[in-house]
Amino acid sequence: MDRGDSRTRFANVVIPHLDDAYGLARWVTGNRADAEDVVQEACLRAFRGIGGFTGGNGRAWVLTIVRNAAYDWLRKNRSPTVVHVDDLEAVERMHLTDDATPAGDNPEAALIARADEAKLEAAIASLPAVFRETLVLRDVQGLDYREIATITGVPMGTVMSRLARARGRVIAMLGADK
Amino acid sequence: MTMTENDRLLLNAYVDGELDSAHLLEFERRLADDSALADERARIEALRGAMRERLPRETASPALRRRVAALARPRPFATNWRAGWAAMAASVAVAFAAGSLATFVAIGPGNREPVSELLVASHMRAMMASQTVDVASSDRHTVKPWFNGKLPQSPRVVDLAAQGFPLVGGRIDVIGRTPAPTLVYRIRQHVISLTALPASLRASGAIRPIDGYNVVEWTDGPLAYWAVSDLAAPELGNFAKAFRAGAAEP
Repeated sequence: MDRGDSRTRFANVVIPHLDDAYGLARWVTGNRADAEDVVQEACLRAFRGIGGFTGGNGRAWVLTIVRNAAYDWLRKNRSPTVVHVDDLEAVERMHLTDDATPAGDNPEAALIARADEAKLEAAIASLPAVFRETLVLRDVQGLDYREIATITGVPMGTVMSRLARARGRVIAMLGADK
Repeated sequence: MTMTENDRLLLNAYVDGELDSAHLLEFERRLADDSALADERARIEALRGAMRERLPRETASPALRRRVAALARPRPFATNWRAGWAAMAASVAVAFAAGSLATFVAIGPGNREPVSELLVASHMRAMMASQTVDVASSDRHTVKPWFNGKLPQSPRVVDLAAQGFPLVGGRIDVIGRTPAPTLVYRIRQHVISLTALPASLRASGAIRPIDGYNVVEWTDGPLAYWAVSDLAAPELGNFAKAFRAGAAEP
């Protein structure tokens, strides 16, 4: 593919998903300036790799690249304790029901429903990276399980358990907040 | 009743509309009976609602957008994007405010679409295909006969290699419902699609660039020629001039 074709494909495939790309990068890195660097790096990779895009789900393709660029960035710029992508076993094994909220008090749902932006942000930001990205891809960006599995490179079952854990934790944090 | 890990997964999948129909029925039945499950469902829904309503939709800043768009543009614009864009915008305004006619064609009953829109779409489609042409040849004596066998009217095929626009080949686009011969020329890394349509497919108005593609149109006897490219407007104007000059020769 020559450069002219690459540019056209890039413009058609990548640029329409720039907001989604930025949104994901922002949630993974936790701030806007870093997210811009990540998106720029990801777009450079996407531009170089556009010949390898065989059609299909352009958004998932772009977000996969953004995710990888974001984690590379985190590895380079953050202490390893913040990122656990390579050593997830421990996180995955954590007993799900530990996060569970006591049953039977519906006022909690009302409390969660009223949580303001700052509280929501703080609760989501406190999640381990892989839980956070799964929750954000699902509930902020509206992707389905299959797309999330593609982007994060894990089986659907893992997506399901990460999502359940992520929600359980955020619910526990918001519900306990008086 | 205590909730198992599996219940939680099912509940989340249920809320997300990801349960298949086999599990769905059974799960809904359980949801009706199990208050712990129903309470947790209410909390998950509350969280989803709060996230949807309260978290701001993140958008890429204009500065980021510009930097990324620069990747998709030819070098001159990439190195000095602001200046390049301003200059291009200005030249487009000058070149096109002057007199082109924007054109609408009835494509089907009650469906009117600007021809330039359709042509840009055809051009984009061709650019995304593995080949931009159906007949690949820089020899006009190969390209013209190829059209002769397929369309009632074949366009003039002009050799513009000397002017810096080598012929790549030809293809047939369908514009609305009109099969139209399209010649493909190249300059540097830019591709120009030149489509010939009946001159009757014209109307009044100015032709504007669409999604970064410039469009130039002129008529020659019974045919209207439309050139579409991501080439800067002045250069596309030069191409049109060269083609018309070449076509005028016997």
